[in-house]
Amino acid sequence: MHEIAIVNHLFEIINEVSKKENLSKISQVNFLLGEMQQIVPEIFRFAFESAAENTIAQNAILNIEIVSIKGQCNSCNKICDVKKVFYCSFCGSKDLNIINGNELIIKSIEGE
Amino acid sequence: MRNVLDKNQDKADDIRQLLKQNQVVMFNFISSPGAGKTSLLELLCENLAPEYNIGIIEGDAYTDRDARRLIKYNLPIIQINTEGGCHLDSNSISGALAEFDLNKLDVVFVENVGNLICPTAFDLGENYCIALTSTTEGDDKPTKYPMLFRKADSIILNKIDLIPYTNFNINSFKADLQKLGVNIPLFEISCMQQAGINNVLDWFKVIIESK
Ligand SMILES: Nc1nc2c(ncn2[C@@H]2O[C@H](COP(=O)(O)OP(=O)(O)OP(=O)(O)O)[C@@H](O)[C@H]2O)c(=O)[nH]1
Ligand SMILES: [Mg+2]
Ligand SMILES: [Zn+2]
Repeated sequence: MHEIAIVNHLFEIINEVSKKENLSKISQVNFLLGEMQQIVPEIFRFAFESAAENTIAQNAILNIEIVSIKGQCNSCNKICDVKKVFYCSFCGSKDLNIINGNELIIKSIEGE
Repeated sequence: MRNVLDKNQDKADDIRQLLKQNQVVMFNFISSPGAGKTSLLELLCENLAPEYNIGIIEGDAYTDRDARRLIKYNLPIIQINTEGGCHLDSNSISGALAEFDLNKLDVVFVENVGNLICPTAFDLGENYCIALTSTTEGDDKPTKYPMLFRKADSIILNKIDLIPYTNFNINSFKADLQKLGVNIPLFEISCMQQAGINNVLDWFKVIIESK
């Protein structure tokens, strides 16, 4: 469900960009997907392909780059990977600022 | 580089601005289906309506059953049917808020569609987000849905009356929250038996009073 909603928003942007840039065919969409979002890449891809049918994005390649969760520690300032436990792996502080992992970002749209 | 949800975010920021101008505080309730969002809203309305002017936005996939449960409080209620959609977004909230006489309100409660993942990604422009979970769902929800519990401003654990009939372990629930680095108020309540609700009411009152 979630995947379809995100794809709908993605297509709003694709349509907007293709109008502005006068594109008649979208060949590739490069997407950053944060792990925190709990989006299933296969479902996301399926939703994308279904939505692309009979549009200028038909047959476009969806390139999904998964972004793992990273936090910056507010105590020691270091950046660490977050795996299940949201503690700083250097100093043990729980005061982590999540800096990666929430991405739902279109990196680029390619077309002509 | 463009965030897919940037339009939702912009609108959510507009909503927060609008709420501020009208001195209204908005709460977004997120839980799985049946955890007790409407039951909690019934309690909140019953106890807070004498003191504050409340507006309700009811998100539901198809029906108006929850809204009908709240009609008895005689408050403005706006129903949003998402037509099967799994979450509310800021656009639908913006439309709903436009139907209220906002300067006559103190509080808006939003019951999101029952789901622990999708609603979390969509900022509604709320001031506070409440993660509601119930003992019958198991004590592993924080581990399974970290984004919600990290986003929330408070957690309400409902149906504590049923703990004796489940394998829910409050200590492992709390330990899981610790692992998420979540350090926010946790209220253990039973809407059914009206247990533990005074602390919840106080939490809401303090926020509403200081708006
Ligand atoms: N035993 C027990 N049952 C409860 C409690 N709170 C709610 N219920 C029951 O749980 C069921 C679901 O409650 P609702 O308030 O409708 O839950 P909801 O989250 O609004 O459900 P949806 O809107 O469908 O997602 C109802 O049958 C309630 O009577 C409680 O504290 N204890
Ligand atoms: Mg309900
Ligand atoms: Zn640290």
